[in-house]
Amino acid sequence: MTITQTDTAVLAVDGLRKIYNEGTDQANMAIDRVSFLVEKGEFVCIVGPSGAGKTTLLRCISGLAAPSAGSIAFEGEPLDSVPEQLGLVFQDYSRSLYPWFTNGKNVALPLAARGVPKSERAQRVTQALTSVGLGHVEKKYPWELSGGMQQRVAIARSLSYRPELLLMDEPFASVDAQTRFDLEDLILKVRRELGITVVLVTHDIDEAIYLSDRIVVLSKNPSVVKEVVTVPLGAERSQVETRSSETFLELRSHLLSLVMPNDD
Amino acid sequence: MSMPAHGWIRWILPSLTVLVVLLFWELVTAAGVVSPLQFPSMTDSLEALWREFGSERLWSAVGATMLGWLIGMVITIVLGLVVGTALAFNGFARRSAAPVIELFKAIPSIAILPLVILVLGSTLPMKVFLICFAAFWPFVIQVIYGVQSMDPVVLDTSRALGVRGPRRFFWVSIPSASPYLVTGMRIASAQALILSIVAEIVGGAEGIGRNILLAQNSGTTAYPTMYAYIIVAGLLGILLTGAFFLMERRVMHWHESQRNIRASSKVGRA
Amino acid sequence: MSRLTTSAVPTERTKVPASTEARRRFGRIATVLWLPALLVVLWWVVSANSTSPFFPPLADILAETWNQWVVFGAWPNATSSLQNLFFGYVLGVTIGIVGGSLLWRYEHVRIATNPLIYFLYVLPAPALLPAMIAIFGIGDMRQIALIALGSIWPTLLNTLDGMRGIDAVKFDTARALRLGGWRTYFTLVLPGAAPQIAAGLRASLTVGIILVVVSEMVAAQSGIGYFILQAQAEFAIKKMWTGILVLALIGTLLNYLFMFVERIALRWYYRSRALGGS
Repeated sequence: MTITQTDTAVLAVDGLRKIYNEGTDQANMAIDRVSFLVEKGEFVCIVGPSGAGKTTLLRCISGLAAPSAGSIAFEGEPLDSVPEQLGLVFQDYSRSLYPWFTNGKNVALPLAARGVPKSERAQRVTQALTSVGLGHVEKKYPWELSGGMQQRVAIARSLSYRPELLLMDEPFASVDAQTRFDLEDLILKVRRELGITVVLVTHDIDEAIYLSDRIVVLSKNPSVVKEVVTVPLGAERSQVETRSSETFLELRSHLLSLVMPNDD
Repeated sequence: MSMPAHGWIRWILPSLTVLVVLLFWELVTAAGVVSPLQFPSMTDSLEALWREFGSERLWSAVGATMLGWLIGMVITIVLGLVVGTALAFNGFARRSAAPVIELFKAIPSIAILPLVILVLGSTLPMKVFLICFAAFWPFVIQVIYGVQSMDPVVLDTSRALGVRGPRRFFWVSIPSASPYLVTGMRIASAQALILSIVAEIVGGAEGIGRNILLAQNSGTTAYPTMYAYIIVAGLLGILLTGAFFLMERRVMHWHESQRNIRASSKVGRA
Repeated sequence: MSRLTTSAVPTERTKVPASTEARRRFGRIATVLWLPALLVVLWWVVSANSTSPFFPPLADILAETWNQWVVFGAWPNATSSLQNLFFGYVLGVTIGIVGGSLLWRYEHVRIATNPLIYFLYVLPAPALLPAMIAIFGIGDMRQIALIALGSIWPTLLNTLDGMRGIDAVKFDTARALRLGGWRTYFTLVLPGAAPQIAAGLRASLTVGIILVVVSEMVAAQSGIGYFILQAQAEFAIKKMWTGILVLALIGTLLNYLFMFVERIALRWYYRSRALGGS
């Protein structure tokens, strides 16, 4: 890793290690040594077998959890808390949205925290909700919407303050298959329109191939980077054609062989 | 949020606090910040407590308060289980009785105290009636909720196995409603103890409450005894309500872990 | 602690076509009203020719209530009780919510004060009445202090429990959105614990009403408890019944007022639960 690369990268993870309950007899190493770079505008997926420290890794690179060793830099700055220019979307929308606030108020929360004046907030909220294909839900509550729509609100909330980097933790794991396809296309569209950098954690290999430019494959616990796979599928993707293309299927079998547990 | 507390801290800190509070009490009274006419010193009060522990007076008062509590609780629980289960299984009866139960629950039990004293006198039945009137309504609502919250699968299974009648009541309804029932019992117990003390202070029935008031009426020299009895009332609260409190924590833990398993399996299927 | 407590008997609502809606609604209202109405009528009829000194005819009680409370002007008794209850309750639950929040925030303080708070919570509050008389003498000050002291603990413990029960993901969200300390407290911690704080407030109200009346019965020169016990001592049974009736009415109205406010303030909670949400 050269210095110039690290400087242009939105996210630079170097030698990351995470041990839970460090120093006690219940010490548990979730991540051993993970390094990778995410360039500006890239869509990177992180996949791994179940039990790999995927969520732990995401908590570390978002600044929610401190690593035990190694360094993480966001736009060249070392992390000590969640950076202002970072958006985070959790898997469980019913747990991350605040049910006592309307959707509009939920989306406005980070704006208020960032000191956006009240007069501007309403317009920004509408804008964010429209960008994820939702109109007229501002006065409704999250629990009045379907699961897919709730996750859209959660995405809109992260987009409302126009972050540089969007981190998503299994964002489509709790919705049904059709909604999942819709949301995948939505996130591709948002990324194209806003030119945003996206890092998405998933256990679904097909989803990872369909969405990303590069895929970071983790080994099982304690995690190391097994391989970084480049996805040469171009910028335009469609659920039917892309998923049935030759390249897709080749990548799929390659990734499967990497993730399958009995492959060591 | 803050640093995780180590094992020894969990023991040292609470003991230290009790010690500090007792010392503070002693200092404040000894230094004359608070007049002994209003507040006796810690040592005098604990001495009085020690003296009372050796006396017949304290134990008969404790016995009287506990007896009222016990009879009241038994009547409340038995009646509440029977009425509550019956209402839970009969929609029309429940809808009819609901406003009456809610109304009686909203009426402060203290309101009927003078009438009950007039009719029954300063007796144990007076105390028991008052306890039941205060504890029954909230408990019966908990029973209805508990029985209704029963998992339909459990109910169907018991039907398929041919479990019905009293057997279904004891084997199926009661266990699956237990988190609600234990919470209801804890609330009922706290209410019963409060009303017990009230019946003794206002109604003059035998028990700790009456002894507290008697000590207060006997003038400043008896104030240490008054605080001794207040401490006894608190200890009784720990014994009677605390037992249900701990039971509730355990049952609730079981209940919530069960619920989480169910919820996560639902997400998995979706 | 009381995540499983409720204030009302459960009744299910099912959706019906508009054509039968009116008839169903009438049926529902009739089902709700027939038993209370029957009980009142029964009381009226059975007590009509009562010669028992303890249970005068309902008609006489109602007439006497008009006399005592409106004609003779006993109503200041009720207002002075309500005033003391209000100040004591507001003081107590404010301390309860602030104290509960502090104990939630500072774990070591929580561990340290645990036995003390637990003791005061399970101590039956009326037992403190004689001590309060000794300290404050007879007057509004003592009433307010006693009510406050009694209503702190249910609110405090429910506040603490409610805050500790908030989902960890919601705190992660707050950090991810960079809400900051105070904003997290007001947008997440307080509303997240609100359903249980409300349960605590309700329990505190029950204790508060008992305390205001008991302390008036034992040592006071005014108030509704004083009125009732005075009537009882004079063996003025009908007058006592009017006091009971007014007290029951006030207590019931306060409870229903509380439930009404709770339903509005926690509308999101009740509606999301009705929809089967989390």
